[in-house]
Amino acid sequence: MKRVVVTGLGVVSPVGIGVERFWKALLAGESGIAPVESYDTSMYPVHLGGEVRGFDPVPAVRRLSPDKMGRASQFAIAAAREAIADAGLDLHALDRSRIGVSMGTTSGEPHMVERYNDARKTSTQPAPCLFSGYPCHVIPSNVAAEFELGGVTLMIPTACAAGNYAIGYAFDLVRTGRASLMLAGGSDAFSRIPYTGFAKLGAIAPERCQPFDKNRKGMVPGEGAAMLVLQPLDSVRPGTRIYAEILGYGVSCDAHHMTAAHPDGDGAMRAMAMAMKGAGVGIDDIDYISAHGTGTKANDRIESIALHSMFGARATKVPMSSIKSMLGHTMGAASAIEAAACSLAVQTGWVPPTINFEEPDPECEVDCVPNRPRKIDPRVVLNNAYAFGGNNASLCVRRYEG
Amino acid sequence: MSSGRVVYTSAGVITSIGAGVEAFEEALYAGKSGHAVSARLNGAAAAEIVDFTPVPWLGNKGIRVLDRAARLLCVAAQMTLTAAGQTVDPAGEGDPEAGLVCGTMFGGVHSIATFDYTGTTEGLANVNPADFPNTVINSPTGHAGIKFKLRGVNSTICAGFASGLQAIGYAADFVRFGRVKHVLAGGLEELCEESSLGFLGLGLASPDGIARPFGRDRNGTVPGEGAALWMLESPESAREGGREPLGEIHGFGAAHDAGSVHGLHASGAGAAAAMREAITSAGLTPADVSCIFASANGSRLGDEIEARAIAAVFGPGGAPPVCAPKAAWGEAMGASGALAAIAAGVALRRQLLPPTAGFEATLTDLPLSAQPQPISGGHALINSVGCDGMNVSLLISLWRE
Repeated sequence: MKRVVVTGLGVVSPVGIGVERFWKALLAGESGIAPVESYDTSMYPVHLGGEVRGFDPVPAVRRLSPDKMGRASQFAIAAAREAIADAGLDLHALDRSRIGVSMGTTSGEPHMVERYNDARKTSTQPAPCLFSGYPCHVIPSNVAAEFELGGVTLMIPTACAAGNYAIGYAFDLVRTGRASLMLAGGSDAFSRIPYTGFAKLGAIAPERCQPFDKNRKGMVPGEGAAMLVLQPLDSVRPGTRIYAEILGYGVSCDAHHMTAAHPDGDGAMRAMAMAMKGAGVGIDDIDYISAHGTGTKANDRIESIALHSMFGARATKVPMSSIKSMLGHTMGAASAIEAAACSLAVQTGWVPPTINFEEPDPECEVDCVPNRPRKIDPRVVLNNAYAFGGNNASLCVRRYEG
Repeated sequence: MSSGRVVYTSAGVITSIGAGVEAFEEALYAGKSGHAVSARLNGAAAAEIVDFTPVPWLGNKGIRVLDRAARLLCVAAQMTLTAAGQTVDPAGEGDPEAGLVCGTMFGGVHSIATFDYTGTTEGLANVNPADFPNTVINSPTGHAGIKFKLRGVNSTICAGFASGLQAIGYAADFVRFGRVKHVLAGGLEELCEESSLGFLGLGLASPDGIARPFGRDRNGTVPGEGAALWMLESPESAREGGREPLGEIHGFGAAHDAGSVHGLHASGAGAAAAMREAITSAGLTPADVSCIFASANGSRLGDEIEARAIAAVFGPGGAPPVCAPKAAWGEAMGASGALAAIAAGVALRRQLLPPTAGFEATLTDLPLSAQPQPISGGHALINSVGCDGMNVSLLISLWRE
């Protein structure tokens, strides 16, 4: 098996477009959460969203036409373009036939369905067909077409844990030599469909996102994308910056309930255990955890239960922060963006905070890195993500040490 | 220690030509076609599962929360588990080493669109929160995971028409790497207004409602639907469970038509690359391939491209007997590859290739026939020449220790 390293990152997020701005904002504890602008939320009791502001697809989407694709594809291409440049890759000098694209999403291109329904309501115009442009495989397909890549290309839409699934599969393809390089990540566009659903469930926070705080009132739907360049170590040119090494990943299913996590955190623990086993590390090796940390009562409590069951006495000693406090929940992109943050954490030595933290919750006894970033020089980190369908995925990355 | 080999040991299938492997096999070899006029889809031509009800397989209990897409998948899962001799204790803990990987193109798009329509026309107060979980693309896979207590990997795979084959390749890796003991793997597609509209809107549908794969007079395809799953496991796991391997997942290849912008590459380069990789990753050469299950669906351009790609891989006139099964079940999108894979497994066992229903004059010299064709040897190549540049080929072989 080959060793797999992360050599390039690209991020489109509510706290900034581009890796540099993203990371600076995270360490400064900036929030990208604000009243929703992309559509009218007056019918809802809540109005917050983590939207990407000021995004212009034109500089990123060059070979294809940006107006012939949805916002999630535009985000994905922009993130991929940044990641490719960040890795210093000259794609045209490479054999692109074995470079692939593995992505995750929750909603795919939901605006197509919105337009379809808006047309049906007015019935003055024909409903657009959903065949071209809607099915979520178009997102990685657009990335592959934009950069003329010929390798394995697929979408793994395992909802809010999808980014980790996609990065994990890319890791498998690269370490087994079936892909020479992979672009892996996730993308989601802000949509009224999940917003309606989460609002109906009463899951959206009215004022701010406060993961692990006693007074937390919910999550905040968001949008964004992140793409990672995964390369076999033996193909990395000397002098290339290596952010991190991917050691392993684990997935599991609670098989318990479509939206509620297993009360004991069963699947979450098994995903972490599988990731650590694959990585060849133990709980004493884990220096930092990027939490799923949505800010809902149930998620954060069960995540804490899983952490304590798994880590025992070390549970309160391992910093575990949630950048969703700043970004909101970027859905299928979330764990990809968090994987980018984990890569930056092991490379820079800093871990981002959980902002808006005021009052500890006895049900969430965790060190959530409250409000200020911390320099802890983490070596091995876990990136946890949980999703509808009882899907759980954990990714284990390590600082690259030669 | 695992051998690293992956076998399929049971199957479940439901599509327009039949429900259950036996009925499916009988219809397939009889040259039956599922193409008809659909009342559900306002008189459009479709290869539809008419009057579908999951009750004979799932009973009445617990099906209310499942949309039609999830019901189709659950029926295929129930069939596969039953054939594998597995029973699911509703009060039990389930199996952390059993998984489900399902390919689909649209998922439960009808539920997604309906949820949004209700929300925007009737307001938040009238939205049923119980419908929200059905708006994630992985909803059918999630529901089936819960219903059958499959606690290992639970992935949904989207690669257009190639989703089913891509899902089988993905799932085989999970067995190979020892992450699960066994996994149900295949594809699902539901025909609904939202998923079938494109066939008409984009001019993909045959005006006279007949898909004629590789036919000289082909004029488009017919949308289809179905669900098909295999149980994949290691030979060691099969032995433990007292199951006879039916065959082996032997080779896999996937390629994107890199040069294309939204569509097929006219040269068939991606399709040819996927076929070559599937064959070579099994340690075989094109001459070893006993038969081909083609992706051709009656489309003017797509079929020609696949014919060209097959010729590029096998040489002019060098292709083994070919079956184009979408003549029977139409273009079942994310389910297509999995349906063909199950048919290919049957063909290898019987050493007899099913007919291509209604096949007449051909555009190519490919060895297709409206009659069953004898084959010799134990290796079948299955193609999905997809939309949006996604191509996947799978090579399966009869099981040999």
